[in-house]
Order: sequence, then structure tokens, then C-alpha cells
Amino acid sequence: MNGGAMRDQWYPVAIAAQLPQKGRDSLLLGEPIHIATDETGGARVTDGAGRILPIISRYGHIWTSLGQPEQDLFPIPEADQPGRRLVDVGSVKVRCSPLRAVENFLDIAHFPFVHTDILGSEPHTEVERYEVEIRDDVDEVWATKVKFYQPQAAKSAQGGITTEYMYRVPSPTCSILYKTSPPRPGEWDVITLFVQPLTEETCEVWPWMALFDDDSSMTDMIHFQQMIFVQDRSILENQIPALLPLDPGKEIPTRADMTSIAYRRWLKRHGYTYGAQLVAA
Amino acid sequence: MNWTPAALSQDIPSGSAAPGQLGDKDIVIWRSASGRIAAWSDRCPHRGMRLSHGFVRGEFLSCIYHGWRYGDGGQCHRIPAHPELTPPEAIKVPVFAVVESGGIVWVAEKDAEPADLPMEFAGFASFRTIRTTVPASIVAAAFGCTGLELRGTLGGTDVVLLLQPLTDGCNLHVLAADGTGPDQLDRVSVAVEALRRQAESVQEFAA
Ligand SMILES: [Fe+2]
Repeated sequence: MNGGAMRDQWYPVAIAAQLPQKGRDSLLLGEPIHIATDETGGARVTDGAGRILPIISRYGHIWTSLGQPEQDLFPIPEADQPGRRLVDVGSVKVRCSPLRAVENFLDIAHFPFVHTDILGSEPHTEVERYEVEIRDDVDEVWATKVKFYQPQAAKSAQGGITTEYMYRVPSPTCSILYKTSPPRPGEWDVITLFVQPLTEETCEVWPWMALFDDDSSMTDMIHFQQMIFVQDRSILENQIPALLPLDPGKEIPTRADMTSIAYRRWLKRHGYTYGAQLVAA
Repeated sequence: MNWTPAALSQDIPSGSAAPGQLGDKDIVIWRSASGRIAAWSDRCPHRGMRLSHGFVRGEFLSCIYHGWRYGDGGQCHRIPAHPELTPPEAIKVPVFAVVESGGIVWVAEKDAEPADLPMEFAGFASFRTIRTTVPASIVAAAFGCTGLELRGTLGGTDVVLLLQPLTDGCNLHVLAADGTGPDQLDRVSVAVEALRRQAESVQEFAA
């Protein structure tokens, strides 16, 4: 029984509109699972013993759990808002801890260096103070009033703008980013990172978006997000240790890392430690 | 402990950084714009990113992840997310002792470096490094020798082979006799590749 407290969470394992016709083997928390299409065309997910696992089809993906989730999948109200285009980006397999993948998604300070001239550029490297809290009522990590200068914030952006962000972590391997919508100031584009933990040191990342963008083609929006994530992968596969250190001392955070500090604290508090390193090695 | 040959000087041009090893430790070997060589732990203390993926500007090596900039002695000088901040002295990358001689970058543990300078190989010039997954002892045996400093001929040219054990094999640093011409060096290359294949087949046979 892998995963500890993370066993009862929901995890993405497939794109709902692209179910594997002939079935596909995968892993969840180090255990074999099989994703297939049933007689009615719906998804069926089974574990290594052939047991049918619970599923939810939402936010473009099929979600499953090896344990007994007490709660429904976290809400994303914007998913139902008219006028948004919902984008199934696809998946990228990364040789890194699922928790490292989420932490990187919460980080803006790397934009000028990893996503150079797209999400950031020198000399606009400063991260201004923003607000972070663990919201006890919903049990989520939130970062708000995050601002960053971006040369090309989205496929729909023309030239540089200061983008405002909010980050939300509703489950240990999922994060939702809200950012200023270039064509619709006042609204937030939604970009998510849904991570399937394959093992403690490998994961499948399923980004998904709900955007206000009437001009870009679906292919362009998918390619833009995939390009960003491939740049992240070159980082994620080269961090030492591969596991996310939860105890202080192994890494040195600064004020710009407040979201990551809260995320690590929240993981530790809940015992969400699959993919984490607890004792400084 | 002896000096370890970790790279050839020619493979670390000014303004570049490359990964290396010292024993079981991952190191970054880099050269500043003015030509100063350094060997550090290959890990940015901020988020654990390999510094060998970083970039050199002037006399500083920066991490590619968040641009943290490190200089002399591994000291952090700049955190771009907080341009006004003077980084605390405690933010430092562990450094190793390094010297260059005879076109070779030699590395040792800091404060445990040998009193003597590394051995010089008069009459030889550094030529190239090739890496193999075969342990040094098998490579030496394939060359008809033992130890880590091998002398003999390859492709009709007198050579010195410096073997550097790695966690998953070894580096062969090849030194060729002074004055060896380009055509002869090509034959040395062919011969050293053949030596590697021979050692690898011995290892496969043994496995
Ligand atoms: Fe990124």
C-alpha cells in the first residue's frame, strides 16, 4: 500500500476525449493500473489485481484513486463559465518527484532564466512581495497579488505586460494558476497543472487550460504550453535530490519562495510525503 | 588523497561550465571570462539545480534556474528575484581545490589537497577524453597494464592514458607525444575507440 495519506486523493490518468481504444498500462503511486474503454465508450480504470477503481470525468481528464477518497474532486468554477476555451494540452512524462513538478509550477522567479523572453526577461527579475496563506476552510494553499513582468505572457499577448497571478493548491499534486487574461482585462485565464504520480521520482504531467482566447488556434495554444513545460522539464530532471526536501536546511528559500514554503509546510502537515524527502540526507 | 584528473583544459574554454566528478561527488568545472578555472559542487544551494547547466558571465557562474550568481570561493553575490539584497555570506557553494598543469584540470578535496603539485608528463600533450561505462581496472587490463596512469602506444604513437574512475565507469584522458601530427592523432583516436570497445566487450563477457 503506497502513498500513505496521498492514497485517498484523486489523480489524473487520461484525457477524457482521448481514451485509449486498446487500453493502456500505467502506474499510480508505484502500483500498476490499466486504463481502458468500456462497452459504452466510457473509461474504465483497474488496478494490478483487476479491481475496478472509482473514476471521475472532469476538467478534460479521467481521475481515479487507489484509496477511498472522502471528498469530491476540488471545484474549478471557471471550468463552467461561458466564453472560455477548454484546452487539453496532453501529457509530458518527467523524471522528477511529482511534488517537485508542482513546486516548480508555483514559482515565478525562474521565468526570466528558464522561459527567457516568453514568461520573463532580464533585467525584469524582481519578485515583489505577494500574499500567501493556507486557507483552513477549504484546506488549500493560496498565493495572491503575485505580479511579474512578462514579454509574452500568453499566445494571445502582444508585447510585454505586467501580469497578475493567483496560485491555488487544492490537492498535493494539482495546482491551478489564475492569470490576467490579455484579451479580457478583469477576467482570469485558468491554467492548471494536474500531476499523476507514477513513482516517487517519475510523474506524468497533464496541463489543462480554460482561456479567453478567440484568436489562437487550438494547436498553437497547445504548442505554447507544451513548449513552456519542456523548458521546465530540463530543470526538473536535474535537481538534486530528486525528492522534494520537506525539512528545512537542505535548500535555501527566499521571500520569493513564500508559496513553495507554504506548500511544503502544508504537505508535511498532512503527511503528503510520497515524492518527498523527510530526513536531510 | 591524490589529485584527480577531472577534465582536459581545452574542453573547458573561457565562459563555459561542464559537469565532472570527484570520487562519488558531482562537480561543475567552469572557467571565467578572464580564464580562471574553478571546481565546485554541482548543486545550487537554493533549489538543488545542477550548476553545470548554468551560465558564465564575467567572473561569475549563475544557476540556470533562478539566476543566482556565484563568484570567488563559491560565494553567492546576487539573487535576481531580490536585486537590492546583499546575499548572506552563508549562501555558498562548496568548492574543491583545482590546479591546471600539462593541459589537465586536476581536482582534490579542499583543505585535503596533496602537498605536491600533480605529476607532469614531459614530452606529452593532452589530446582528448573519452568516457566509458567500464571500470578503470578493466580498461587498464585491456591495455595490458594496471593502475591509473598507463604508458604505451596507440595507433603507433606513444601515449599516456590517465584513467579517472567514475561512479559508473571511467574517463580516459589521452595524452599524445609532443609533435604528433593530425593524421597520427586520427589513428590514436581510432585506436582509443577500439580499446574502449575491447574493454566493453570484456565487461559484457564477464557479466
Ligand atoms: Fe517554468
